Amino acid sequence: MTPAYPQKDALRAFVEHLKSVPQRIRETAFRTGPPTTDRTRSTFVFGNVFLHLHAVRTHRWSLRWSTTAGLGIMSVSAFLITLVTGVLLMFYYKPYPEAAYQSIKDIHFVVPTGRLIRNIHRWAANVMVVAVLLHMARAFYTAAYRRPREYNWLIGIGLLVVTLGLSFTGYLLPWDQLAYWAITIGANIAQSPREVTDALGITDYFDPGGLQRLILLGSDQVGAEALIRFYLLHVMLLPLALAALMGVHFWRIRKDGGMVRPAEADAILARQRHEETYPVFTEAPAKTYQLAAIVRGRTSNVGRGPENTVPSMPHLFYAELGVLMVTALACLALALVSDAPLKELANPSVPENPAKAPWYFLGLQEMVSFSAFMGGMGIPMIVLIGLGLIPYLDRETEGTGQWFGGPGGWPLVRLSAVIGLCVPVVLESFAIRFGWLREWFPKIPQLIVTAVNPGTLLTLAYVLFSIWCIKRYQSVRAGALGLFTCFLCGFIVLTIIGTHFRGPNWMFYWSPSDWPKH
Amino acid sequence: MKRNKYLLLISSVAVFLLLCWAAVAENYLKEWRRIQATGRGEEGRIAVQLRQVVNNNLGVADRCVSCHVTMGPGEQGVRGAAVLMPHKPAVHDPAEYGCTVCHGGQGQATEKADAHGRVHFWPEPMLAKEHTYAGCGTCHATLRVPSQAQMKSAALAFERLDCYACHRLDGKGGTVRPDKGGMEGTDLSRAGMTGWDQGWHAKHEAKSAAAGAGPWKTAFRPVSSEDQALLAVFLNTRVAAPKLVAAKSVFHSSGCLGCHKVSGVGGDDGPDLSKAGYKDPGQVSFEHVPGKGEMKDWLAEHFRAPASVVVGSQMPPAPLEDSEIQQLTFYTLSLRRKELREVYLPKDRIRAVKFREREFATDGETLYGAFCAGCHGREGLGRRLPGLASFPSIANPDFLAIAPEALLKATIEQGRPGRRMPGWKREDGLRGEELSAVVGYLRSMSPAAVEADGRPPRWVSADWRSGKRIFESSCTGCHGKDGRGGEGPALNNKVLLAAATDTYLVETIRRGRRGTAMKSFLESSPVRPVLTAGDIESVVAWLRTLEGGKK
Amino acid sequence: MTTKPKAAVSRLDPEPVPRRDWLGLGSLWAMGGALLFATLGMLKLPKAAVLASPSKKFRVALPETLPVGEAFVPAGRSVAIFKDAEGVFAVSTICTHLGCVVKPNAEGFECPCHGSRFHANGEVAKGPAPRPLPWLKVSVNGGLVQVDEGTVVPQGTKVAG
Repeated sequence: MTPAYPQKDALRAFVEHLKSVPQRIRETAFRTGPPTTDRTRSTFVFGNVFLHLHAVRTHRWSLRWSTTAGLGIMSVSAFLITLVTGVLLMFYYKPYPEAAYQSIKDIHFVVPTGRLIRNIHRWAANVMVVAVLLHMARAFYTAAYRRPREYNWLIGIGLLVVTLGLSFTGYLLPWDQLAYWAITIGANIAQSPREVTDALGITDYFDPGGLQRLILLGSDQVGAEALIRFYLLHVMLLPLALAALMGVHFWRIRKDGGMVRPAEADAILARQRHEETYPVFTEAPAKTYQLAAIVRGRTSNVGRGPENTVPSMPHLFYAELGVLMVTALACLALALVSDAPLKELANPSVPENPAKAPWYFLGLQEMVSFSAFMGGMGIPMIVLIGLGLIPYLDRETEGTGQWFGGPGGWPLVRLSAVIGLCVPVVLESFAIRFGWLREWFPKIPQLIVTAVNPGTLLTLAYVLFSIWCIKRYQSVRAGALGLFTCFLCGFIVLTIIGTHFRGPNWMFYWSPSDWPKH
Repeated sequence: MKRNKYLLLISSVAVFLLLCWAAVAENYLKEWRRIQATGRGEEGRIAVQLRQVVNNNLGVADRCVSCHVTMGPGEQGVRGAAVLMPHKPAVHDPAEYGCTVCHGGQGQATEKADAHGRVHFWPEPMLAKEHTYAGCGTCHATLRVPSQAQMKSAALAFERLDCYACHRLDGKGGTVRPDKGGMEGTDLSRAGMTGWDQGWHAKHEAKSAAAGAGPWKTAFRPVSSEDQALLAVFLNTRVAAPKLVAAKSVFHSSGCLGCHKVSGVGGDDGPDLSKAGYKDPGQVSFEHVPGKGEMKDWLAEHFRAPASVVVGSQMPPAPLEDSEIQQLTFYTLSLRRKELREVYLPKDRIRAVKFREREFATDGETLYGAFCAGCHGREGLGRRLPGLASFPSIANPDFLAIAPEALLKATIEQGRPGRRMPGWKREDGLRGEELSAVVGYLRSMSPAAVEADGRPPRWVSADWRSGKRIFESSCTGCHGKDGRGGEGPALNNKVLLAAATDTYLVETIRRGRRGTAMKSFLESSPVRPVLTAGDIESVVAWLRTLEGGKK
Repeated sequence: MTTKPKAAVSRLDPEPVPRRDWLGLGSLWAMGGALLFATLGMLKLPKAAVLASPSKKFRVALPETLPVGEAFVPAGRSVAIFKDAEGVFAVSTICTHLGCVVKPNAEGFECPCHGSRFHANGEVAKGPAPRPLPWLKVSVNGGLVQVDEGTVVPQGTKVAG
């Protein structure tokens, strides 16, 4: 009599299956085997939930260092570093006044690796702001915002705002003097529409400024409520918003046809020799393009040869990982060299003097020192709206994908830079030397000061120059080049003035070493 | 692609190397690790780990014991680096109380510069070695501290009665002359942590009687009761932290409480000093202060020349010797009255705060020193300082000879509204008997007795109109238009006019005040005419009209 | 009823959507309305109905000998109290620009954050401050001065005390 189920064989099978578990797990995870051929490389990318945000193949143009300088990946890398270090810091951080300060002291002194982690977090946040700004400048100067990437440019502006928001909210969390007064100033900037509503006498009926401040602080002063709100924003709401926007941003890159490149990109690449070339689609495609046929317009490669593309795996990934590690290296090196600051415990009755925001807000702070509403909300709003409108106003095609492409080109950018640097220097020198309206006419209505101050005059000068550019080159792109360059330079000049030349009581000093001895 | 591979390779290797360096720094190079690595206990090496003393009642979590290992709980006999050594014997065991309660500094830190608070942004630097005892002020408030003069006479009594023969004090004395055979008494440098034996005299007498011969017979004589009282004062000042008590005595002899409050006692003119020892060096200007930017230099310079250190300060400079300035600095550093939980509230603090016992002795001399000496001077001779209204000389014999009791009392109780002199009869000022004690002390400053005068308080009946003319020609120069005050005191003051008798006013004008700008108006002088008795009375009559507010 | 064989339709040609799909539109609008209402409700939450800030009224004893023109700033408060022949008055020391605490000086007040300067009566002397420092309600009650930081009074309101 033979048993229906031979025991010995089942046992053997069990043992064999047990032995093959690692291999099976590997096979089920990466269904297509090692990425050695074009096909398996493709499936490796689109078969992976994380990697398939990338296109399967990448154009050679996109891989040139000069195309993007890796700035987008650098921003993401910095974000990932802040994410990891930030979550680690949350193990010890207590979002309550005083306790917050003590917990940062603990992180600094007794938490194993705590100091390094906090330093990395702080430096990665700075790197992220720089990378995001440069990334935007890159996208602008290569005219990457043009059709079909208009919408992704808008998402990018959203990402910039959220990035700055993350930096700003993180600034309060240590609850030291620096934090407390920067946030007091920030919250009052949120309230600054009152400067206008007060002047019009309608604050009692319509008070958007007061509402903004109330919602930001949860109280009428910076206290425990404000701290927990900033904490919530910093560790939850803004990172979620950032992640969501990043997801859309990356997906749109793919859907919009990858990195921007000039029409003659293939021709330029053809002139150059490459040491390694991969044959493309050597075997007949096994699938029809029927599915792709429902996708309209320029978004697919239907009907176009995939020459000059290489598999993303591994070409693109080496580049991306390289940038990731370079970013990590920069953050780590900075973190080892310089500690994140921690001043005295917050003291609501003695302002820090000078009370300075993080460096990337010091340009704003410089403008705020003339008018809170215009400097803190009005002009930033105008700039953001202007940035958002660029792709919808510039519908030209000349120069797409080229650095400083478009009518005017590099000479125009150079001229704009000179003007962009000189105008704020002249205006600031004048205001510092001779004062401003309020000192000459003490009774002047506030609305006039709000409307006419170095910040608004600077904006006006830039806009006039931009209009001249449009007329001179008969091109909106030229106007945009002029305006963007001017604002970038103005930002740099004001930031330097705010950082280096302003001392106690926001007075002008040639150098911090001239500040009154404390 | 090759470029990107190199990029990845180089950056990754660099990150790895930096992380290795960070790991070495984290695990081997930290200051406290290197210190603990040198430590050897009874069983060999000690465990290298972070150590701390936590006391939630005192609100401390002090990591100081990560370096000062043997001061921490459960550690003994660790040898190695000098910092590992145990604390000197102290009433408050650092293993229970932590370190920063007494010594200040940053207990959370684990590195020397931060922990000792010498870095920027740390508002509480550790107390310097010479100021260690200022830390006592965190919890303790020594009671009934006598004035400097009394302390001095008490110390002299100790010397005069030759207590040094047997007792040691601050390293002095203690051996009966060698030819008589040595004997040592108790070391009185700090008369015990808990105080001194109240029955010492009886015990000394008994021992002396019991001894047949030797030092007990030759070196001890019964002490008179006055001297016993002086020795009691002396021994009281030797409890726990004698130098701090001496410094507090300087504070209480320099009139600081006239303008400043400490634990709810004192004037309102200056800032409350209850927490002055915590003053943050980051919040004050060191522009005109010599030294290395330490709080002690700031305080000392500020006592010498307040207005040059704090712009707009109305505080008169302290006319003290340098050693006294240092003592004042020391005491100010000890004003760090921390809020404490019941368990850790010391008895003296409870008595001072809850039972409102005085931190100064309540005899007239000490009270005068504590409340009045700042403005009127230690000798009561007044002060004239540039930029400030002059402070009158109240010990002037010409004044005390004619000032009626009621005038002195009313002035101290009600002050001079509108001028700097505040009224002292109030919760945070002087209490009933204390006011009389100060009046009594004022009287004792002049050898002249009050000249009794049979007249009623108001007897002048001259015509005020001519008095007004005379006043305008002769008096306004110093006393201001309508007696509003100027270089000299204001005369239109209601409290003054209500309490001053006519005799007092007339006599003041007649005799003047020797040693001040107020000269006798009976003597001729090149700058003003001689007044007749009638003139003087009419001036007084005019002054009287200022009282009612109508002329 | 006969069915005509339809022309061959590509899978890729979409099924025609009726112009007036009342049920579909209604359900979508209903959902939109419900979610909008929920969102409005959620937006109400972060606007605190009561503020955790302590009482704005406080009492303080003025130094009897406070010189005319010199500010008395009670510890922990953002108010400068003055006393002159006409009476007592209080000026807020919170800068009307961006909320820093201004410091009394010989000429008036100075703000450390953006360099606003004010005269002693609160008027703006220079800098970005849009409004004068507000005067606060003061009442004198037997030696103690009560200040209400929450009530602004017209400039020049002095209370005899």
